[in-house]
Amino acid sequence: MAIAIRRLEQNDDVAPFDCGDEPLNNYLERHAWTNQEKSSIGVSYVAVDDTAPRTVIGYFTLAMASVPRDAFPKKYVRGLPPYDLPLILLARLAVDRRFAGRGLGHALISEAFRIGLNAAAEVGCRAIVTDAYPDRIGWYARYGFVPIEGTSDTGPQRMYLDLRTVRAALRG
Amino acid sequence: MPARTPKKRIEGSTRSRPRKTKFQADLAPADDRMVRVLKDELQLSSNTDFLSDALALFRWAVSERKLGNRIVSESASGERRVLLFPRLERVAPDVALPHVQIQWTARELESLAALVSAKEATPPTEALIRAMRD
Repeated sequence: MAIAIRRLEQNDDVAPFDCGDEPLNNYLERHAWTNQEKSSIGVSYVAVDDTAPRTVIGYFTLAMASVPRDAFPKKYVRGLPPYDLPLILLARLAVDRRFAGRGLGHALISEAFRIGLNAAAEVGCRAIVTDAYPDRIGWYARYGFVPIEGTSDTGPQRMYLDLRTVRAALRG
Repeated sequence: MPARTPKKRIEGSTRSRPRKTKFQADLAPADDRMVRVLKDELQLSSNTDFLSDALALFRWAVSERKLGNRIVSESASGERRVLLFPRLERVAPDVALPHVQIQWTARELESLAALVSAKEATPPTEALIRAMRD
């Protein structure tokens, strides 16, 4: 199985995708392409196998975000640069359950990190944030994501990874 | 002084020629066999010629993907197949990400500010290092 990860294209076959989570399936099937090409509110990258190069077997979605400097509590503002804080949002990441346990999630998040570094090099960016399902917090923590305190106890956990850490990993 | 003339010529010719770099690779037996088969098919006698041709092809593929062009093979019946090569996808122009708004609670912003204010980033985990090296 030779996997390639590339941007979602209009004629990709997304209907058979099933990661076991209806909102993630539904996003890929109904919204990912529209959000990418028409609304421009997120770019999705898909994993495909070279034996079926149009069938999506995993995906993630990225967008840029920023936090206005004056939104931060005053006691922290002095230590921050005098600009809005640019971030990359890893909005979704999912693997078709028929391909689970084969390292596809690792390949997808590796690619997300690389794109994050490229984006940071192009437009400047400080960190990657994601909203992790409670049962996936440990998986993201393995890559160095740390929980952002203050998110609700029942919903997804917002997590943070400094891009300087990702850059350090690249240097080994 | 007849002995000096050839010495000067040798120095002159060394300066004008670009220095060649030696390239050595450890190939798995299957890859070694593949190289031999390809050299035979392409009627290439030396590894240098083989590498030079492979490099030209790879350089072309990279430049095409950098422009955002897809590399397609077309059969006699018109059936098309797109080349999917993971490393080539890395050079495709894809860093233009749209901007979105995220909702933050006051406590999240405080936590985020503390993380961002850290003078040094935390060292990468083993999984992250593997992710960036794979």
